[in-house]
Amino acid sequence: MRLAAASAATEEAGLAPGMTLANARALAPGLRVRPGDPPAAARRLAALADWARRFAPWTAPCGADGLWLDITGCAGLFGGEDALLARLSAGVARRGHDHRLAAAGTHGAAWALARFAAGAGPFALPADAAAIRAALAPLPAAALRLPADAAAALSRAGLRCIGDLYGLPRAPLVRRFGRAPLDRLDEALGRRAEPLAPQRPPERHAARRVFAEPTVDSASVSAALDSLLKELCAALARAGLGARRLTLRLFRVDADPRAIDIAATRARRDAKGLAALFADRLNGLDAGFGVEAMELDAALVEPLAPAQTRLGAPRGGAAGSGSGSAKNVETAALIDRLVNRLGADRVARLGPRDTHIPDRAVRRLPPLPGPGAKADWPAAERPIRLFARPRPVAAVAAAPDGPPMLFRWNGRVVRVVRAGGPERIAGEWWRGDSPTRDYYRVEDAQGARFWIFREGFYGAAPDGRGAPRWYLHGLFA
Amino acid sequence: MTAYAELQAMSNFTFLEGASHPHELVETAAALGHRAIAVADRNSLAGVVRAHAAARRAGIRLVVGARLDLDDGPGALCFPTDRAAYGRLSRLISLGRRRAPKGDCRLSWQDAEEHAEGQQLVVLPPAAGLPSARFAAAAAHIARRCPRVFLAASRRFDGRDGERLAALAGLAAAARAPLVAVNDARYHRPERRPLADALTCIREGCAIDEAGRRLAANAERHLKPPEEMARLFAGYPEAVARSVAIAEACAFGLDELSYEYPDETVPAGETAQSHLAQLAAAGASERYNGAVPAKVRAQIDRELELIGRLGYARYFLTVHDAVRFARSRGILCQGRGSAANSAVCYCLGITAVDPDRHEILFERFISAARNEPPDIDVDFEHERREEVIQYIYAKYGRDRAGLTATVISYRRRSAVREVCKAMGLSHDLAAVLAREARMRGGAGPGAAQLRELGLDPGDRRLKLALALADELIGFPRHLSQHVGGFVVSRGPLSELVPIENAAMEDRTVIEWDKDDIDALGILKVDVLGLGMLTCVRKAFDLVARHCGRRYSLATVPAEDPRVYDMLCRADSVGVFQVESRAQMSMLPRLRPRTFYDLVIEVAIVRPGPIQGGMVHPYLRRREGKEPVSFPSPELEAVLGKTLGVPLFQEQAMRIAVVAGGFAPDEADRLRRAMATFRKTGTVGHFRAKFVEGMVARGYEREFAERCFSQIEGFGDYGFPESHAASFALLVYVSSWLKRHHPAAFAAALLNSQPMGFYAPAQLVRDARDHGVAVRPPDVNRSDRDCTLEPDPGSAGGLALRLGLRQIKGLSPEHAEKIAAARGGGYASLAALRRRAALPRAALDRLARADAFGSLGLSRRESLWTAAGLGEPPPPLFAAAPDGAEGREPGVTLPAAAPGEEVAADYASLRLSLKAHPVALLRAELAARGAVPAAELANVPAGRRVEVCGLALMRQRPGTAKGTIFVTLEDETGIANAIIWPRVFERCRRQALAASLLAIRGPVQREGIVIHIITERLTDLTPLLNRLAAPADADAAPFPARSRDFH
Repeated sequence: MRLAAASAATEEAGLAPGMTLANARALAPGLRVRPGDPPAAARRLAALADWARRFAPWTAPCGADGLWLDITGCAGLFGGEDALLARLSAGVARRGHDHRLAAAGTHGAAWALARFAAGAGPFALPADAAAIRAALAPLPAAALRLPADAAAALSRAGLRCIGDLYGLPRAPLVRRFGRAPLDRLDEALGRRAEPLAPQRPPERHAARRVFAEPTVDSASVSAALDSLLKELCAALARAGLGARRLTLRLFRVDADPRAIDIAATRARRDAKGLAALFADRLNGLDAGFGVEAMELDAALVEPLAPAQTRLGAPRGGAAGSGSGSAKNVETAALIDRLVNRLGADRVARLGPRDTHIPDRAVRRLPPLPGPGAKADWPAAERPIRLFARPRPVAAVAAAPDGPPMLFRWNGRVVRVVRAGGPERIAGEWWRGDSPTRDYYRVEDAQGARFWIFREGFYGAAPDGRGAPRWYLHGLFA
Repeated sequence: MTAYAELQAMSNFTFLEGASHPHELVETAAALGHRAIAVADRNSLAGVVRAHAAARRAGIRLVVGARLDLDDGPGALCFPTDRAAYGRLSRLISLGRRRAPKGDCRLSWQDAEEHAEGQQLVVLPPAAGLPSARFAAAAAHIARRCPRVFLAASRRFDGRDGERLAALAGLAAAARAPLVAVNDARYHRPERRPLADALTCIREGCAIDEAGRRLAANAERHLKPPEEMARLFAGYPEAVARSVAIAEACAFGLDELSYEYPDETVPAGETAQSHLAQLAAAGASERYNGAVPAKVRAQIDRELELIGRLGYARYFLTVHDAVRFARSRGILCQGRGSAANSAVCYCLGITAVDPDRHEILFERFISAARNEPPDIDVDFEHERREEVIQYIYAKYGRDRAGLTATVISYRRRSAVREVCKAMGLSHDLAAVLAREARMRGGAGPGAAQLRELGLDPGDRRLKLALALADELIGFPRHLSQHVGGFVVSRGPLSELVPIENAAMEDRTVIEWDKDDIDALGILKVDVLGLGMLTCVRKAFDLVARHCGRRYSLATVPAEDPRVYDMLCRADSVGVFQVESRAQMSMLPRLRPRTFYDLVIEVAIVRPGPIQGGMVHPYLRRREGKEPVSFPSPELEAVLGKTLGVPLFQEQAMRIAVVAGGFAPDEADRLRRAMATFRKTGTVGHFRAKFVEGMVARGYEREFAERCFSQIEGFGDYGFPESHAASFALLVYVSSWLKRHHPAAFAAALLNSQPMGFYAPAQLVRDARDHGVAVRPPDVNRSDRDCTLEPDPGSAGGLALRLGLRQIKGLSPEHAEKIAAARGGGYASLAALRRRAALPRAALDRLARADAFGSLGLSRRESLWTAAGLGEPPPPLFAAAPDGAEGREPGVTLPAAAPGEEVAADYASLRLSLKAHPVALLRAELAARGAVPAAELANVPAGRRVEVCGLALMRQRPGTAKGTIFVTLEDETGIANAIIWPRVFERCRRQALAASLLAIRGPVQREGIVIHIITERLTDLTPLLNRLAAPADADAAPFPARSRDFH
């Protein structure tokens, strides 16, 4: 394992990216290591590129650790290049990134200065060829954006600095080192154009409606919502998306906006159904002195394939064959309505938890089956009703591990006529010490069936505990 | 009292499932009063020998067998009733294992049926639920097709035991496979449940919190007393009784495995013994030129008599055959270990220590009393060992020759790492603890250490994990192949022990390791590789070619005082064994003058004598600073040769017997326990017996404690005297070569790399220090290997020409081609490329090594030219004249500074003949006040100095409690520094990462051995990097590399 990145403090201790983890630990015994996550880093870099668009209309990530900004024509808005760089630097620092900035007339020169120029920067180079040429001359060949082996090959031949290349005949160079060094040099010096693709700003899915007159009428609000939903859903359908979360913002004349969030268990774009989810929440809405404008924003979207529209099938009569997915959609719609009406924490599905301990074997799951949950219910028979807390009972049983013959519960004596077991379940030793239980399925003369367990053992207890105690833990149907 | 025998118990040789050692199962069964116990692992007999040995000790019968997991039906326990059936079981497992990748086994019921004769099969129902109809049909089918089939019934405590037992009883009756009670044990005591759960997590690669029902619900799979089994199977007393019946029907025991060496080595009309006697006589006559000394002759007769009595002749012949083969191919070899105590081995050419010149103790090698097979280990040239191995495979066939296994066990580090993961502790924490384990060399961290690491010693999880890791240590993880332990048999080997595939292609290993083989009295030959033998043979060849005299290990002139003079000066770079830093500092104190001094030198710098505190007493006595005395008259016989101080392993064992009151076989067990001490960590009762035994006999407790520490130190690296003698011979021979043929010796060392303690740079430097002219690799002068060139100005009249093999990245094939196609020489790069058909990359490597000096090209010029040549032209155009690539404008490249040249040499050759990098910095270093390493000899002890050099080596010996030894090299020589742990913690970064180090501190001297006690460390690597790349020091760090302990 190798280091992908090291903080400034660890670099002080001699650590550097590329070093093996074992070496790094030898150098810094208390080192804290987190696994690298290049996709997450790339996402953060893309987010930074989006953020940087406030300085220039054209931004893009550059490699794994850089950012391009095309500030052509932007400097004036900030009071000059130096001022722009200063503000950019402050902004990037606020966002927690170490950085070096350079501005130059070519991409290549900016790249080289930002990464290789002596000093901390920011570096701003006048946009004339001679200045670039002079500034690049002392930088190492690697500053030409060359792969490490190409830079090393140049350097072995004694061509260590960019300036060493200036006077050399081109043909022999190309023949030995390929086109890359001279192409990069020409780009850096502005002798060759270099097209780059900017990052496109993220698409926002929203619709907005401004009322001619502020309205306090809930009917006109919901009518407007319907048309917003229709518009948004049509846009989502074109993009092949569905909404998981929608936010409706109502801008009131008193400048105190209200927002309503609804969530869906799966991506959807059925305007009617979504309207129903809003309906309950719109009811008690306080329109204040009137609503001026409404905005509907799909805050979370996911891909959703276009649905096959059925021809001729009467609505609501889809209970026939092949309607499994239609039924799922209906269940999902029902769950959405329940969730949005009752609150997310009040709708759940019960599922098995992978453990032997009966008390913990059931858990609440999100109402719709997700991709992750796949535990099975235990193979052994479990009662239909399990008491939240086992109830102590007095019981008589044969030592050491016979089933109870009779026990007292609810003020009556239950005589056991049939019994099965024991099912021996030991505590989860890693969670703390809990005694072993022997569970029995027992039945009385009336056919009532109980799930009863003994904690501890009679006589020489195998796990060295005190006298056994009996509990009733559940009732079978 | 109920009679019961547990038939279904798995040991930890069912890797990551069984949670007890075989001996734990056996001992517990004996203590519980079982009539017998079967340790049946999944498709394996790897644990049975250990179980067998434990059963013999515990006085319980072991039922030999295995649990067969079959691809197409239920599993079954298989218990062979006689030797033939055992052979079939072993063959069956071999069959399944040979067809599967390493560690796996593929068998079907068809295979099982074919090997079912003489087996008792206990069919295993599915682990959960009631037996299915499919299982019932399968069981009935098996019962019809195989003799003696039974059906296993066990309690699972899943709430349905009653139903299941009833169903199985019915099924047993219907299938005519009688029911037998078993407990399906995974561990010997219920307390092992946590470890069993942890193993499940390791196997499943999950953390304990998410393991869920993959873990067992309870702790019932342990061995239970017969009475409890009777109670649990109350309705089925005959099923309980049947366990004993099955056990008793298995008359087979591992003691029956009689083992015989192959016949091939005995010519027709001879007996093995007569043939051996002939060979010994012929060999003796050759060794002593017909004049065999009477002493030797008598010794040979005595040995032959004992060998004949014990029937070991075939073993000697088999070893002799392998050695003879090696000789015939010119492969140098030498027996090591106790074989050096045999005159017969010397005459057969197996060993090279002359019994006439040295005291030998044949009883150490073979003794009628010990009833232990002799152990002959032979070292071969490391580069050619494979030829010998393939010869043995070819001669006896793969079904009769196999390598022994090495059981790879959990050490603390691996145990901590995997248990931490299983316990859901973070990866980071696991790594920290595992690293800590490595640094502490095996002992678990105490509360203080944990706090030091920033951990809470009271943390429940952490405590659990560390306790489980302690238990896991010593558990086998997998079988690997032993480095060279061969077992060769007369009949098919697979009927003796299962054979499985090794990780290496074309290799097979048996399932038993060295100790198992020993325990059963099976003979093996260790075919080992030793780098120094390669080097010595190559040196002999060079000497023969250039000086016209052919030497062998036995004919190198003995006891040459000039050789000992050299060793007394600690002038031993490159010499076998005594070249390490520790040995070098010992040489001037020990001052060897005779061969036996070398034997002691080899043995004394070892963990055993060091831990036992025996080194300084011995040195004081040797220097006459302390009178030679013996703790008791009886020990005088044991310790006489070593001035009353125990140094060798057998002396320590003799002390156990003579002074500690151990029986000889008990002492032997102690030795074996020590060998596995690091794995198992249990020698406590031996210690008490040893120390108390000595105290009771009137010895001082302090001496007794030291003797025991010494035995502990022998542990993995026991060094008996005879072994030291074999090694000492190589020390002498390599020293002799170094003293009299320095150029040939250096060339041979370089041509045998990688081996030894020093890198080529130090070997070359040492050769130059001894007056050898060393010349750079050159396309017009060098072969692939380093060669010798006549040079009256060089020591011995021969100069060393570095070979093309020193060039990084140049393939051996290209190097050979360059030498082969050279003819009258290459006039240009283009000619070289064309005639040797080299790709551009190879030319580039040569240019980087500056190997075109004979063409008058600098490194940069040749790099530039090589880059311009492109790939070789297709064959049709190969005849085109050189230089037909077209004219191009001339180019003047910047000239390289001296530092750049040196750095480029290091990058390609890892050394430079042009200059030492530190020499180029001397002015700056002198300005700092640093003194050259060579000056240290003139600095009085105690004075503070600063030395600066390349960090050659950083060592942290296990015996030195965290102290670091650093070796620095500058242009004048080598300086050694000691960094105490306190100082090290302060300057860890500099100490570990710097390529160029300045070390300041007082000088310590002992005789001619000089150390600097580090007070301050400075990292001067930037100076060095500036040499390498004047423009941009960060871009290309100076390519110096240190050999480090981590």
